[in-house]
Amino acid sequence: MTTATATRTAARVVEAVKVYGRGDTEVRALDGVSVDFPVGRFTAIMGPSGSGKSTLMHCAAGLDTLTSGAAYIGDTDLGTLDDRRLTLLRRDRVGFVFQAFNLVPTLTVAENIRLPLDLAGAGNGDSEWLDALIDVVGLRDRLHHRPSELSGGQQQRVAVARAFAGQPDVVFADEPTGNLDSRAGGEVLGLLGRAARQTSRTVVMVTHDPVAAAHADEVVFLADGCLVDRMESPTADKVLDRMKAFEVPS
Amino acid sequence: MNASVRLSVSSLRAHKRRFAGTFLAVFLGVAFLAGTLVMGDTLRASFDTMFGNATSGTDAVVRSADDITTPGESQGVRQPVATDLADTLAKVPGVASAEPEIQGAGQLVGKNGKAIGGQGPPTLAGNWITDPKLNAYQLAEGRAPRKSGEVVVNRGAADKGDLKIGDTTTLRTPDPVQVTIVGLATFGGEDGMAQVTFTGMTRADAEKYLTARPGEASSIQVRAGPGVSEKELADRLTPVLPKGIEAITGQESAQENTDMISSQFLTIFTTFLLVFSGIALLVATFSIHNTFAIVVAQRTRENALLRALGASRRQVTASTLVEATVVAVTASAAGLAGGIGIAAGLQALFPAIGFPFPKGDLVISALSMALPLAVGIVVCLGSALLPAARAGRTAPLAALRETAVDSSGASRARAVAGAGLGALAVAATLTGVLISPSLWLAGLGAVLALVAFVVLGPVASSTAVRVLGGPLDRLRGVTGGLARRNALRSPKRTAATASALMIGVAVVALFTVFGASLKATMDQTVSRSFAGDVAVSTPSFGAGGSGLSPRLAGAVQQLPEVDTAVGLGRGVAEVDGKGRALTVTDPTALRRTFDLGTVDGSMGALGSDGIAITRNEAEKQHLTTGDKAQLTFTDGRKESFTVRAVYGQSELAGDYVITRAAWAPHRTQDSDTLVAVSFKDGVNADAGKAAVQKVADGYGNPEVQTRDEYAQSSAGGIDMMLTLVYALLALAVLIALLGIANTLTLAIHERTRELGLLRAVGQTRSQLRAMVRWESVLVAAFGTVGGLALGAFLGWVLVEASDGASDSAFAFAIPPVQLLIVALVGLAAGALAGWRPARRAARLDILRAIATE
Repeated sequence: MTTATATRTAARVVEAVKVYGRGDTEVRALDGVSVDFPVGRFTAIMGPSGSGKSTLMHCAAGLDTLTSGAAYIGDTDLGTLDDRRLTLLRRDRVGFVFQAFNLVPTLTVAENIRLPLDLAGAGNGDSEWLDALIDVVGLRDRLHHRPSELSGGQQQRVAVARAFAGQPDVVFADEPTGNLDSRAGGEVLGLLGRAARQTSRTVVMVTHDPVAAAHADEVVFLADGCLVDRMESPTADKVLDRMKAFEVPS
Repeated sequence: MNASVRLSVSSLRAHKRRFAGTFLAVFLGVAFLAGTLVMGDTLRASFDTMFGNATSGTDAVVRSADDITTPGESQGVRQPVATDLADTLAKVPGVASAEPEIQGAGQLVGKNGKAIGGQGPPTLAGNWITDPKLNAYQLAEGRAPRKSGEVVVNRGAADKGDLKIGDTTTLRTPDPVQVTIVGLATFGGEDGMAQVTFTGMTRADAEKYLTARPGEASSIQVRAGPGVSEKELADRLTPVLPKGIEAITGQESAQENTDMISSQFLTIFTTFLLVFSGIALLVATFSIHNTFAIVVAQRTRENALLRALGASRRQVTASTLVEATVVAVTASAAGLAGGIGIAAGLQALFPAIGFPFPKGDLVISALSMALPLAVGIVVCLGSALLPAARAGRTAPLAALRETAVDSSGASRARAVAGAGLGALAVAATLTGVLISPSLWLAGLGAVLALVAFVVLGPVASSTAVRVLGGPLDRLRGVTGGLARRNALRSPKRTAATASALMIGVAVVALFTVFGASLKATMDQTVSRSFAGDVAVSTPSFGAGGSGLSPRLAGAVQQLPEVDTAVGLGRGVAEVDGKGRALTVTDPTALRRTFDLGTVDGSMGALGSDGIAITRNEAEKQHLTTGDKAQLTFTDGRKESFTVRAVYGQSELAGDYVITRAAWAPHRTQDSDTLVAVSFKDGVNADAGKAAVQKVADGYGNPEVQTRDEYAQSSAGGIDMMLTLVYALLALAVLIALLGIANTLTLAIHERTRELGLLRAVGQTRSQLRAMVRWESVLVAAFGTVGGLALGAFLGWVLVEASDGASDSAFAFAIPPVQLLIVALVGLAAGALAGWRPARRAARLDILRAIATE
């Protein structure tokens, strides 16, 4: 984390433009977005369907490439990396939580959590860290179960543990509660927030649920591929009000 | 179009790739089958035409009525007829000309000093029949032989030996004769009768070198005058013929010749190929079944949705079957076309590699169209039947379930049934092999063993993959671990994929083990019964070669280094009504160079009316020393021989031994098949061998070999067979590998999201590729190991069963190096099969993979 003092951002995008298709079918999913994700903060990206929030996350995380502009993890410009370096960067410095199908069904809970470390051939990694992590997500008694033997909420908690296992600079979560009921969803979001604050990691979450967004330290709002607003210390009501403003044609 | 058909057509169109493997498997199997049938028919027809053309001028053939056929030979030996009979026949009204045909063995030596041909097809020599219409060979270049030493050679043989008109070379009759080529001949318009070589000499030369006594011919060829039919001619000839001589029409004679070629060569050839196309199709069955099973599994949600929307079971089943039918019909039709293409290609290719196959249109009979089509469709539909039924049973609720790991297949019932079958197989085999030798029981056991292996596959695959993949975790870390677990995901699927390869490898292993055992048997035979120092022989195979000069043994005997040199000749006679091969030799010398085991009576006392018999034969015929045995020779003469000796071992010396004096009155063309030489004490082996070689050089340059070399060259034919078998099995193994590749491709399609996830959390492309490849290697390893075990077991059964069924002792040998090579090839092939699926998986776009529903 030597770079953190210099920039104080774990990830950022600058003038990000992403265009899908050509000519008549051209869609500008991102239209010049610049946003920083400061170190140690839990940021939520919100916006209506088609606002470009998932695209922003994918590009910021190095899963997708920008048409123009730049994306950085720490000081590393993702545009300069080839597929292999990008993969290694994801493995070592980024964590992911997806909406569904987050775990490898053939691996046990413990193995799923260790997967990024194992892929890196990292030996035992930081076993204290892993131990603490397992306690934080509360899965110690399930370590040798298979994903198919867990509930949806438990699976998602395993995914969170995996995302933090490699001590990444930043964890990206894409609608992590989309498939869960409100109680399980609440647990997962609480977990994300706790993990971010207790370990001073950066978490970036895409969601369309104001309740989920309320768990974050800050919410950024996207509409039609542009950054339209930011909100510190959000509550569900405030976020819901802000979202309603998008739906009313201005 | 009804709903089922519409659904399956749209599904086929959407998933063409999925069926590429199935299509190829059916295509290859059917093409092989159709190609074999068409080629067999075409060859048969071509030979018919060729013989018809070649002998169209011959209206009748006069020859001895009786022939003696020994076991394992398709053409009997006939007593010669007198040549002057031709003059008598020429005077019969309606006869335009009659000429004796003298035929014997004569092998030409090519320009490089090596003998031409001899590896299978006969090497013939005969008199050049002067009436061109009676001569089956036509002069293509040069002229007919006029004086002693001049010969006409068929063009194929001349080309092979790089001989031209004007060249002088040696003809082994087997006495070496210096001949000058004055003409080149063709047979029925071709450069030769397939690979058969022919040397035509003057009648005087032929009588001198090819018959035991001058004035004898194999047969007399007769041509009818105008207006006399073949039948009439034969009828007119019959009254003037001596007793024991018959006249047959030219047509009958040609038919006999083609039948002989058919039974000796074509039938074996086509049966052989049919067996291998059967193996290929069996392997294909597994691959096809697997593909449909996976496709149905992948379509569970879709089928469940259909069921939920009100589709009946029958409609869902039907839509899968319609898909299978479309694939079956198109692939079989394409295979049929491919097979005809293969036959046409081979027809064009054979002459190019020096195998003059008769030209002629492809013969495509209704059977060779219908059978491959039917087999292809039945195999394909049959393989799809179970998966289709399973598709119909899909519960509407399955649409809502996610099935990621399938642990089906490893059920207790299956384990019990498989173990029961296995026990039954072992019991049947052991009984059939060891307790009461019976080929049927042993065969039944072998088939049961195969079935048991297939049934046990899914149960065994979990354990096997766990064990085989054990080292992977340590060697390849998480990549290896993931590969191993992926291979464990669906035991049934892994087993079915591996079973295809298992069968291929099992057959390869079976032949490898059997071949090695045969070689070991030869080796054992030679080292056990050959007590001499060197053997002189002409390496030949089948009906080829002309043997050794009977004078060679005598010449070698004169060498100061040599203690004993004994020649073994071959004769035929009927012993108690059955054709038998006789060994004609000097029994006293035989005893000194061969270990005959314990001998009752005296080998030295055979004389001209005594015979020595192996103990086995003696027991079968209930003969002991002092008994009389009736021998009937080809000339119809019956003679009574006294059994003067009974000996123990027979492999090299043969079952019946008589002296040259006893054989002399009945002999035809004289030749020895082997001259066994033992040196005097203190003679250096190399020096002795060199001395023998020097003498042998003067007798047409046969090979002089030490005991080991002789054992090895005796087994030479086995290697040739094995090479051919491997080449034919390559197809089955290829189909099995296509099956592995196809299963993997489908599995990768199934796991798209999982692969996307792995890539997202940091699996590099090369790690992903390695993971898929290792999974492929593991499945291949399971198939290979199972195949090796099954093949070795079946090989043992075959060896033991042969041992029980024949008189000579068979040795069982497992060739570790060859089997290791088979195992490595299996593994490498697995890696190869995984190559494309791995690349496809690595090209996967992460975002789309994650988004895939």
